[in-house]
Amino acid sequence: MSEKESIYLPMLAELVRTEGLTERERLFELKLRNGDELGHKPGQFVEISVFGIGEAPLSISSSPTKKGSFEIGVRTVGNVTNALHRLEKGATVGVRGPFGNGFPLDRLKGQDVLIVAGGIGLVPLRSLINYVLDNRGDFGRLIVLFGARTPAEQLFLDELALWRQSKDMEYLETVDRGDENWKGNAGVITTLFPLFDIAPEKTYAVIVGPPVMYRFVIAECRNKGIPDDQLLLSLERRMKCGVGKCGHCQINNVYVCQEGPVFTYSELKNLEEAI
Amino acid sequence: MKYEVITKEDFPSFVNGLLSEIEVVGVKMKEGKFHYDKIKSYDELCLDYDVTLIPPKKYLLPPKETLLKFSLGGAIQVEPSIDATPRVILGVHPYDIKAIELMDAVFSDSNPDANYMERRRNTVIVGVDCRNPSPNAFCPSMGTDTTETGFDLLLTDIGEQYVVAIGSEKGEELLKKHARTREATEADLAQRKAAQEEALAKYKLSIKAAVEEIPELLEKNYDHPLWEELAAKCLSCGSCTMVCPTCVCFDVQDDLELNLTAGERFRQWDSCMLQGFAKVATGENFREDCTSRLRHRYFRKGNYMLKRYGKLGCVGCGRCIGACLAEIANPVEAYNRLKEGS
Amino acid sequence: MKPRLAFFDFTGCEGCQLEVINFEQELLDILSAADIVNFREAMTERSDDYDIAFIDGAITTERDVARIKEIRERAKILVAIGACACIGGVNCLKNFYPMEEVLRIVYGESAHYYDTIPARPVDAVVPVEYYVQGCPMTQSEFVKVVKALLAGKKPEIPNYPVCVECKMAGNICVFEKGETCVGPVTRAGCNALCVTNGRICWGCRGLVDDPNTDSEKEILAKYNLTPEEIIAKFRMFLGYSEVAK
Repeated sequence: MSEKESIYLPMLAELVRTEGLTERERLFELKLRNGDELGHKPGQFVEISVFGIGEAPLSISSSPTKKGSFEIGVRTVGNVTNALHRLEKGATVGVRGPFGNGFPLDRLKGQDVLIVAGGIGLVPLRSLINYVLDNRGDFGRLIVLFGARTPAEQLFLDELALWRQSKDMEYLETVDRGDENWKGNAGVITTLFPLFDIAPEKTYAVIVGPPVMYRFVIAECRNKGIPDDQLLLSLERRMKCGVGKCGHCQINNVYVCQEGPVFTYSELKNLEEAI
Repeated sequence: MKYEVITKEDFPSFVNGLLSEIEVVGVKMKEGKFHYDKIKSYDELCLDYDVTLIPPKKYLLPPKETLLKFSLGGAIQVEPSIDATPRVILGVHPYDIKAIELMDAVFSDSNPDANYMERRRNTVIVGVDCRNPSPNAFCPSMGTDTTETGFDLLLTDIGEQYVVAIGSEKGEELLKKHARTREATEADLAQRKAAQEEALAKYKLSIKAAVEEIPELLEKNYDHPLWEELAAKCLSCGSCTMVCPTCVCFDVQDDLELNLTAGERFRQWDSCMLQGFAKVATGENFREDCTSRLRHRYFRKGNYMLKRYGKLGCVGCGRCIGACLAEIANPVEAYNRLKEGS
Repeated sequence: MKPRLAFFDFTGCEGCQLEVINFEQELLDILSAADIVNFREAMTERSDDYDIAFIDGAITTERDVARIKEIRERAKILVAIGACACIGGVNCLKNFYPMEEVLRIVYGESAHYYDTIPARPVDAVVPVEYYVQGCPMTQSEFVKVVKALLAGKKPEIPNYPVCVECKMAGNICVFEKGETCVGPVTRAGCNALCVTNGRICWGCRGLVDDPNTDSEKEILAKYNLTPEEIIAKFRMFLGYSEVAK
C-alpha cells in the first residue's frame, strides 16, 4: 500500500441482499462497487461503515469460495449494527479490510477439523465450514458442534437443515433451553462432547463463541487429548481501526486486529488478559 | 555528524528567516509554564525551558483530526482528509525527539498511517538540548537526556553561541539558507559536551534499575500488589496519558451536519486509562477494573512498546508525574518499588 | 414525517431553553428537520402531540411530579437538558435544610401558599433516554444529541473526566494555580470550558459513571480544604448524589 493512501478510507459496497436470521441477527450480502473480490480468508473481519453513524468490526460469514460478493452476519448491539439493520437493499456502506489473520488454512489441510460454535460464533465459523465443504478433499473429518441458547436463536436454518443430512460432515447441535417443538439435545455445548470420538493428534478444534464459553470448551478439548497448539480460538475485542494503530484491541503485547483475531490456546495461555 | 556554530546574535535572523517561508511553532511562556504554540517572531520564543505542558505530539497527532469527509445526499461520496501543513517545530527537547521517533515507528509500522506520515514528512524538527530539566524529569535513567538521531537540527547552548548538530539534509539546507554559521571546532564540541554534562548533573530523579532491566522487572511483577494500591487512588482521569509524548491511542467517531447529508469521520486522543477503553458493543469490558488498566499503561510503556517497536514507551519527561493529582503516575517510584522488592 | 419536538420547563432559571433560542443557524437547521410544537419561552402555540420532549429544570413540587409523569406518557423519547433536569443541580442545595424552613426563607409569611419537596433530577421520577449536561447545557452537545436522534443513533457522550479535555485544551491544571476543582470526577463534554476561560470546574455536568470520589476528596484535603469545604464543593451541583452527603 502506498503511504499516501489513507488506511482509513473505506471502499464502497452495495447491499445486494439482506435476510433476517433471528430476531436480533440479520445477514447482509455486500458487493464491492469497484467489482473486486474482497479476497478474504475464513476468520478474517472487515470494518463496516454506515456513514454518519460510524464504523464497526464485523466477521465475514461467507466462504471465499463464494465469488462476486461476501456476507456478514450482524447482531444489533450498537449504533452501527442498529443502523445496518435499518438499511435496505441497494444501500451503500463502506468496507475496509479484510483484516486479521483468519483461520490457519494451511495447518488445517489434511487434518480433522472440529468446529465448536456458540451462538453467533457460528457467523465467522460458517465461512470456514463452507470453505471446507467446498474443498472437501483437502481436509479430513469435519465435525461441527453448534450450541444456541434457544431454538429461536439458531441461525442459518436452511444450512443447518442441509448439515443435518450431509454425508460430508458430522453435525451435532444443542440448545441451552429447548421449547415444546425441540426434540434435539438440550444443555450447554460441552454436553455434546461425550457424543463423539476423535483422533486427537490430527484434530484441530476451532472455537468461536461468547467469552464465557471458552474456558469450558477448552477443558473438554484438552480432555479429548487435543494439543494446545491445535486449539484455535477467535477473540472479540474493540477493533476500532483494524490496522494496529488505535490501541483498543490490545491484549498485553498483542494487537488482536493484527496478530489475531485467531490464536492458538498455546499462545493465549501466556496472555494474562486474553480469556 | 556535522556540527556548525551560530552566535546568539545571529540566531534571531535564522528564526525570522524560517518564519518567512514556513509555519514555525515553538515554546512560549504561559502563566509561568511552557507550551508549544505558533510563533510570529523570534521574540516570542523560549529556548531555555524545563518541559512543556503538552508534548509536540499535538502537531503530529492532533487532539482531534478529520480522517474522512463524506456527502450522503444522492450517491454517497467519501474523501480522505489529510492536513499536512509544512511546519518547523523549534526547540524540541531530546526526550520529546525520542518520543517522536517512537511515534514514527508506530505510525509507519506495517500499515503506514498516511495522515501521520504526510504530516511527519512536512515537519522539520529543530531540537535543543535541555539546560534546566524539570524536577520531575528522569531522562538520564532512560538515556534520553540527549540524542544523536531524530532531528533535522539540534542546538546546544554553549554560552554566547549554539552548536548546531546537523541531522538531515533538509536541516542543513534551512540552516545554510537562513543563518550565518561557521564550522564547529574541537573546542566548540568540547564545550558542547561540557554543557550537556552540566545539565546531566541537574536531574533530581533516577530509576534504580538499568533501563535494560525494566521490561523484565515488569514481567516478573505482573501480579504485584503495587498495581492495586495505585489503582485505589487512580481517578481514571486520563491526565497521565494526555500529557504523555508516547501515548498515541485514539478513538474514531462520525459526525453529521444537522441536514444529515454531509459529515466527517474524525479521530481524537483516547486513553487506556479511561473506563470504557476496552469495552465492546456487546457490553463486555475487557479491562473493567482500574487495576488492569493502570497495569496495562505501565506495561505498555515499559515492556510492550519495546517488544513491538524496539523502543521503550517512556522517555523520562516526567509530565505524567506532574499531571497526576493522585500522585500515582510516577514511573520512577513504581520501578524503584519493584526493583527494591525484587 | 418530521419528528415533533416539545420543550418543557420545571424548576430552574430557563437558561437552557434560552440557549436553544440563542442558536442561530443551528435553530433554522433544526426547524427544517423537525417541528417544534411546544416551547413556552419561544412561541404561543402549544400541542400535546409530540415525539421528543426536552425537559429543563429540576423536580421540586408534587405538581412537578405529576406533570413530568404526564409528559413521559406522551413522549416517545425524553431528553433532560441542563444540570437541574439531569442531576438536580443547584436546586438540591435546599435539600440540606428542612422543607418548612426553605419555604419560610423564600416566601416568608406567604409560605403556607406553597408546597415544596426535596429537589431531584428528572430521572429520579421517570426514565430519561438522553441527557444534555451542564449549567447551562452545552450548546454543541444539544446539537449533537439532536443530530443523533434525527440520524437514529445513540449520541456518544463522554464517560470520562473533564481532565481529558482540559489537557487536550492545553490548560494549566487549576490545582497548580493554587485552586481546586472537581473536574477529575466530572463528566467531560464541555471541552473544559470553565478552566479554559480561567475559572475552575464545579461539576455542573455531573459525575462520571464510576467516579473515584474518595480519591478526589483525599486530593482536595491535601490541597488544604477542610471536610466542610469539600462537602460544600460537591453540594454546589452534585447535591443529589451520594458524594455530597
